[in-house]
Amino acid sequence: MKMSFDRRLKNPSLGTQRSDKYSKIRLIFLGSLESKLSQLPLLLLIAFEVHGQSSMDVCGFLVVSLLLSCLVETCYGVAFSSLQSTLVVAASPTPGQALKAGQDQITVAWSFNQTHTSGTDSTYKTMKVKLCYAPISQVDRSWRKTNDDLSKDKTCQFNIISGPYNSTSGNNSFTWTIGKDIPTATYFVRAYAYNADGVEAAYGQTTNPQKTTDLFEVTGITGRHVSIDVASICFSAFSIVVLFGFFYIEKRKAE
Amino acid sequence: MEPPPPTPHFSLPVDADHKATEFRLFSLSSPHMLAFHLSWLSLFSNFFSTFSIPPLLSLIRSDLQLSSTDIGRAGIAAFTGSIFARLAMGPACDLFGPRIASSTLSLLTAPVVLSVSLIQSPLSFILVRFLIGFSLANFVANQFWMSSMFSSNVVGLANGFAAGWANVGSGATQLLMPLIVSLLTDCFQIPSSTAWRAAFVVPAVFQSVTAILVLIYGQDLPDGNYSCKKSSRKTCGSGNNFFTVLFRGLRNYRGWVLGLTYGYCFGVELTADNILAEYFYDRFGVDVDVAGAIAASFGLANVVSRPAGGVVSDEMGRRFGMRGRLWSLWVVQTVAGLLCVLLGRVDSLWGSVVVMCCFSVFVQAASGLTFGVVPFVSQRSLGVISGMTGSGGTVGAVVTQLLLFSGSNQFSTQTGISLMGLMMIVSTLSLALIYFPKWGGMFCGPSLEPNSEDEEDYFLLE
Repeated sequence: MKMSFDRRLKNPSLGTQRSDKYSKIRLIFLGSLESKLSQLPLLLLIAFEVHGQSSMDVCGFLVVSLLLSCLVETCYGVAFSSLQSTLVVAASPTPGQALKAGQDQITVAWSFNQTHTSGTDSTYKTMKVKLCYAPISQVDRSWRKTNDDLSKDKTCQFNIISGPYNSTSGNNSFTWTIGKDIPTATYFVRAYAYNADGVEAAYGQTTNPQKTTDLFEVTGITGRHVSIDVASICFSAFSIVVLFGFFYIEKRKAE
Repeated sequence: MEPPPPTPHFSLPVDADHKATEFRLFSLSSPHMLAFHLSWLSLFSNFFSTFSIPPLLSLIRSDLQLSSTDIGRAGIAAFTGSIFARLAMGPACDLFGPRIASSTLSLLTAPVVLSVSLIQSPLSFILVRFLIGFSLANFVANQFWMSSMFSSNVVGLANGFAAGWANVGSGATQLLMPLIVSLLTDCFQIPSSTAWRAAFVVPAVFQSVTAILVLIYGQDLPDGNYSCKKSSRKTCGSGNNFFTVLFRGLRNYRGWVLGLTYGYCFGVELTADNILAEYFYDRFGVDVDVAGAIAASFGLANVVSRPAGGVVSDEMGRRFGMRGRLWSLWVVQTVAGLLCVLLGRVDSLWGSVVVMCCFSVFVQAASGLTFGVVPFVSQRSLGVISGMTGSGGTVGAVVTQLLLFSGSNQFSTQTGISLMGLMMIVSTLSLALIYFPKWGGMFCGPSLEPNSEDEEDYFLLE
């Protein structure tokens, strides 16, 4: 919804012909109707139409309604089970391969699955490819839990690449050096396609729907460093020495 | 004729034992107020170290591949370590004095805090939290020291301020440790998996420094230090050994009752410190940072609420004697229990935050009120009684977490919180069992001739 605002504000000819303050308001009105979200932005803007004076008010209310709409949107995310798997995604790691974070690379390739009706992907405007946790790495770890509500889902926490959706060329691919902050776990790759409102419209993943095949492992970077080890040992020795030194001094004083 | 021995000069008014009868918060006068400031600062550093791991868990858990079970076990281990340490600290204070006992423990656990930077597996994580938890035994030394330095009319106040301000360490660490890590990652460009390891130098150094200050400037008693040499056995617990002192304390039923009630005020506070951030995050969907800030504010309320408990205890003691102290403890802890039941039932975020704030004030005040009663239970085994009560606190935390919040049970966290409140109310009823022959109990008056100048009777009773 945010994107629709921006595009329409930059291109007033998309809406009515008039470019005064009230036309901007009506464009937003149309935008919020289209997105079919909560009534809240609608109410805000109707109230604003009654007022609508200086451009400062316009800006202020734009910001507020944008923020509220985005907040509302995150409260009610799309359900993953409602998405269709229309994308084909492939990743370079072989099943069970172990890769090193910060060093090794993954090449991902994605395209539209031609077995689906052509034209289904006309609504896809942008897409993101993400690195996702496999179920074995989610066991007993509620901070990685899969939730059908995509606004609360924590399965896919790392972005590989994002950008505009390109359906004409069948070969979209990207080579990614695994980030240094990727923890040790088992992963697969998933791509989401977003429609013009920035809402997930479709997906594709390298593994099967049960997420049991074609998984690969990444070994994270350990934070241990020689200098920290040395500093720890030195400080520890210092505190023990001080303690026994003190006992020795007390004993000497008492004698 | 020999000149009479010079009477020692103190800057605060003192009683016959040279314990201060006034409490001046912002003075550093030796030895009473200096002991107070050294003691609370040293315990603050211990709480800071013990609770320095939870705020960084989101970084640690991915680096060490921890699961929720590992984190829960480590949280319980942190308190289990302190149960036996607090029990052992009691006799140690009676025998060696609080100054040496507390600084020894601090200096020995500082290397453990530093070793956090070396760990690489879930098992070592649990072990490290278990060992760091030992440093919480300094709480017993802290309360013992305050009870030795301050007279009975201000002992609740002194105990309350010392413990309350020290408990703030558990809240301060939730704010400071993430700041230290972001300082290291942003200003020094250190990767976060190294930064969290390096950050533990701060609590360790702080703990060592405060321990050294206690050793240099502290003094066990207003008259001097404990010296267990042949010449002055009088000041050394009458030459009793460890086990005599320990069993004398264990035989006193009042220590057990206070241990139970303290388990359900301070133990509940420790449990809440562990579970609140996750509760707000899961149930109301707030950000991790916001949830951490809410949990920190629970601990930070200690600045005023625990001392307030001490003030109330002393005031009630002044007006109504021991009966006043016991009744005020019962009332405050029962109200805290009711608020805890309410916290589990409230459905809105803001309602929960308000109820949580009220709950934090009452539960911490109840802790302060408990240590307004403890100094009166036993003179010669004061350390052991303090240790039993203090251990009771951590036992309560461990039991409550295991029974209600260990993830293997059928009910939700909010039901667990309400049940915790119910357990608080039921356990507080045991206060009615406490009876002092010299001062009475909740329902009965004293059975001995009340004589406030006759400290000998008090000494001989226990």
